[in-house]
Amino acid sequence: MDFTVRAATKEDCKDIWRMITELAVYEKMADQVKISPEDLERDGFGQNPLFECLVVEVPEEQKSTDGFIVVGYALYFYTYSTWTGVCVHLEDLYVMPHFRGNGIGKSLLSKVAQIAKQKQCARLQLCALEWNTPSRDFYAYKGAQDLTATEGWHMLRFDGHTLDSLAQEDAKGS
Amino acid sequence: MDFKLRKAEPADVSDILRLVKELAKHEEMEDQVLLTEKDLLEDGFGETPFYRCVLAEVQTETSRSKVVGFAMYYFTYDPWVGKQLYLEDFFIMEAYRGLGIGSELLRHLSDLAVTCRCTGMMFVVAENNEPSIRFYKRRGAEDLSKDEGWRVFRFDRDSLLRMATPTEE
Repeated sequence: MDFTVRAATKEDCKDIWRMITELAVYEKMADQVKISPEDLERDGFGQNPLFECLVVEVPEEQKSTDGFIVVGYALYFYTYSTWTGVCVHLEDLYVMPHFRGNGIGKSLLSKVAQIAKQKQCARLQLCALEWNTPSRDFYAYKGAQDLTATEGWHMLRFDGHTLDSLAQEDAKGS
Repeated sequence: MDFKLRKAEPADVSDILRLVKELAKHEEMEDQVLLTEKDLLEDGFGETPFYRCVLAEVQTETSRSKVVGFAMYYFTYDPWVGKQLYLEDFFIMEAYRGLGIGSELLRHLSDLAVTCRCTGMMFVVAENNEPSIRFYKRRGAEDLSKDEGWRVFRFDRDSLLRMATPTEE
């Protein structure tokens, strides 16, 4: 199958948003997507982008049944380790079901790794769900270490009202 | 004890590195800190800062200020809900704990997160770090690994280089 991996432009935001939603459905969390294509444009293609994105395009003759030629994406950003410096965090990696099995996922991951290498990053990190065996196997095969298993790392978050409460707590001390 | 929180400046990199190493020592991983003051200076105070830092300072008996704690953070992106504040390191020197500095630092960061339009503040904690987990959960943090099954994965430099070399098609 012919495909190209290229950097996303702001014109791709509708497609990226569509696939973000598809990935959320796959992860059984569709109701958690609150963002819009306009949010993506502001956050990724404005003056201080919060993320970078690669998209996968297939030729017109191979478009999806719904007529889409953008059939995969990788969304990533830079993080910082106080031990090793700049790192890349791969937040989303997705290929539409019909287009899997053609090396597109591998190619996307390889391109992100190339970008990490160019920026002299010592690490590439990502999260995957416990039950998502296909993804976990794919990443393990490529050499990723499961830090939750080996070092007991847990991901924690404050959001919504817990974040607001924390922000409004009366200052202690002094 | 009086303390104050302030934004780190370029002159603070030696204190930042000192505390980074203390935290690493606390986790028994001091030899894994490869960063230098120069790296911290370039990466945090150059044209594109890759991190931001808040410091906690006390006045010593001789009226000199001493940096006794720090929080290092940066902004990340959750494609479902947008901008997040990611807390990379959070540490108060042992001798200065129990004074409310940690609580105030966390409150300050949450305030920052809300002001900067973040919908969440995220971080990773080792499951055997019970004091930290208690500290965060007491304040309402959700454990996404436990509740939703998220696992953290890492490719180190060798795996990264292997993946980065384009394979012959």
